[in-house]
Amino acid sequence: MKNKFYVGLLVLAFIFQGSFLGVEAKEFDYKSPEFKAVAQQFACTCGCGQDHYECDPNTCNLTTEFKADLVDMMNKGWDKDKIREYYVNIYGEEILTSPEKKGFSLTAWVLPFAALGGAGAGLYFVIRKWVKRRGPEETDMITQNPEEEVESEILSSIIDEERKKYL
Amino acid sequence: MYLFANATIYIGLAIAIYSLLIMTLGISVKNQKMVNSGKGGLIALLVCTSLAMLSMFYLLATSQFQYEYVSDYTSSELPVIYKLTALWAGNAGSLLLWTFFLTLYIAMIAFSRKMKGNPMVPYISSILLANAVFFFFILGFVAKPFVLLDQVPLEGKGLNPMLQNPGMIIHPVTLYLGYVGLAIPFAFAMAALLLKNVDDFWIKMTRRWTIIAWLFLSLGNIFGGQWAYVELGWGGYWAWDPVENASFMPWLTATAFLHSVMIQERKNMLKIWNISLIIVSYALTLFGTFLVRSGVLTSVHAFANSNLGLYFLIFMAIATILALYVLMSRYNLLKRSAGEFQSFVSKESSFLVNNLLLVGAAFAVFWGTVFPLVSEAVRGTKVTVGLPFFNKVEAPILLSMMFVMAVCPLLAWQRSTVKNLKKNFMIPAILAVVAMVLMVVLGITKAWAVIGYGVIALLLVTHFLEFYRGVKARRKMTKESPLVALYRLMIRNRRRYGGYIVHLGIAFITMGIIGSQNYDVETMKTVPLGGSIELKDYRLNYERLDQKREGINDIVYADVTVFRNGKRIGTFQPEKVFYGNWEQPSSEVAIISSIKEDLYIVLSAWENDGKATFVVKINPMMNWMWFGSFMIVIGALFAVWNGKYGNVTPRYTGVRKEVS
Repeated sequence: MKNKFYVGLLVLAFIFQGSFLGVEAKEFDYKSPEFKAVAQQFACTCGCGQDHYECDPNTCNLTTEFKADLVDMMNKGWDKDKIREYYVNIYGEEILTSPEKKGFSLTAWVLPFAALGGAGAGLYFVIRKWVKRRGPEETDMITQNPEEEVESEILSSIIDEERKKYL
Repeated sequence: MYLFANATIYIGLAIAIYSLLIMTLGISVKNQKMVNSGKGGLIALLVCTSLAMLSMFYLLATSQFQYEYVSDYTSSELPVIYKLTALWAGNAGSLLLWTFFLTLYIAMIAFSRKMKGNPMVPYISSILLANAVFFFFILGFVAKPFVLLDQVPLEGKGLNPMLQNPGMIIHPVTLYLGYVGLAIPFAFAMAALLLKNVDDFWIKMTRRWTIIAWLFLSLGNIFGGQWAYVELGWGGYWAWDPVENASFMPWLTATAFLHSVMIQERKNMLKIWNISLIIVSYALTLFGTFLVRSGVLTSVHAFANSNLGLYFLIFMAIATILALYVLMSRYNLLKRSAGEFQSFVSKESSFLVNNLLLVGAAFAVFWGTVFPLVSEAVRGTKVTVGLPFFNKVEAPILLSMMFVMAVCPLLAWQRSTVKNLKKNFMIPAILAVVAMVLMVVLGITKAWAVIGYGVIALLLVTHFLEFYRGVKARRKMTKESPLVALYRLMIRNRRRYGGYIVHLGIAFITMGIIGSQNYDVETMKTVPLGGSIELKDYRLNYERLDQKREGINDIVYADVTVFRNGKRIGTFQPEKVFYGNWEQPSSEVAIISSIKEDLYIVLSAWENDGKATFVVKINPMMNWMWFGSFMIVIGALFAVWNGKYGNVTPRYTGVRKEVS
């Protein structure tokens, strides 16, 4: 049973490999979503300021080889995380188009939301303070509905118009 | 000519310094004559910058290559329009344009009919004059526009072909008008503080200036995006490049300011906040210039690196510190009139949440933009913070912003009760949910798209209801026909309804962004002559590859016949242009545009046997974005239009009235 399983795995691996060879022999679409997911992670260092997905191989020599290497890795069955890890190990975090979500770089991701959360909490307390300042006896005042608000605005504008006409 | 052109700059500097000194002296000794002399200087200043601009235009148009700037950015075969617009292609020229706009604005304010007799004028003029002195100093000593070369070159280096596009003619101009425009409300705010006028007079006086500056800033960004889309051959329109971020940040804070001032007008609250917002917006315009011109960050907007950025940084620091000092010195006055809120749920609170999100979004952009520097300073690693980061961080913040925008019109000022909320929100909420279900049924399954479009559906319904309710209420009283009622309703409350039109514009832009970001399809294929590429409903037949010569440029183009669902649409020619005086070739893309989507064809490469490589992209809903942009312009213009009704200029009722 165990042997059969291994044979099955081997057969699967063979088929899988075959399919990849087929892809390679055909023509690789450098604008496919699969390639985009991988290549978009890496910043091109030729000075174009783009990532390796966008960077045009006609104007940037560096990206041609890089793209080919990425395709090789994809053919090996590496997923985008593994490929990223591989390059970060060699070149460091500088090669990525966005900071990693760990270590000091995590602050890049977290701080905007932390600041928003903090400011949001602050805002909540400020509004609470302002609402409290009114005192409890006043809070039951007649409330205005937006509909009435629009009506009263229109009414006052019409009155204003008439006033301008006659005065 | 050399002497004349340089004289305009140095005399301008002298006049700016003189006017600033005499005006501040006039203010302190309360001497109207001195102030008037300073005011005269403002006109002289405008004359100087106008002459400098005319000189530069003349030199550029007549290809006077003995001038460094002319030889750096133009060549003799360049069409005249691009020769002229090369004025803002480089550092010195663009700063000259900036200075010209600044002096124009100062003169417009100082001599405006509405500001006559207003004691704020000398203060505003002085503050803006200080800016002018800085810019003249830069033009005179750092980025000199009129420098002669030792040897006269036979031909200029030419204008970067990327900049030879109608979008590039207008994009910098609108952006600078926006940048300079934000200095105006800043100057008004500072003048009001200096005069100890802590009411909302300055806000009312400067409202139109703020909206106009905001409109130009929006246009600057939109034209920039449109230019990138048609010119760069990359199929995108916004890359979160540091320079784009630099113009997006003040846009966000200025938008926050436009909303929060309404709280001050209605409730006499948030004074410190409003002044802080306008200080931040103004400082961010300078910060943006610092980023662009200093080369501290890698950017596609390649301005020649120089120490210019440092000067901007110093000036920004001084301006901000002084502004904060003024703010602090008036803190007690500003704090005194503390207002109150009736309830947690009200239009007021929603405006505050709107401010929180807008400023939060601006902070996120700021943080992402400077993070490479922070990271380098803290641990020596200069990381890249690019498109994936900003898309992920900004999307939830801006989507929440859209939600607040959708909900706000249905909230009442003062206080909304649960009963009101239920009554007002039931129908829009049900419709939005129905829309979301419908989207899922129709095959839109990406979470961001469904949520985004759901929020926009809510926004469209609430805004429609707002117009509907207004018309209904008006008709109840006046018995007018619906169209007349709508027209009169809108022109009698320009700011409110102009604002709603802008909201709708933003909704269309957002729809375009969500569609084009989530449902774009792309492929890159190499095909032989006669071969075809299929992508979704399209088939592209590659029929011919040829070459032509236009002026000094060689153009390689392909004839591609496009079919949609088997129906022929036409033959298009994506091109690759090789410039006679520029190393890098550029792609002229073929765009087949419809309401549903754009088909974007780029001729990428070819071989001797006629095989060619094409990048073909389908960008859904791009026209929605351009339509939304158009609505923003209409809405903003509608809001500031000087109609018969509204926009009443208040009379100055401040404390001091010594000189004006």
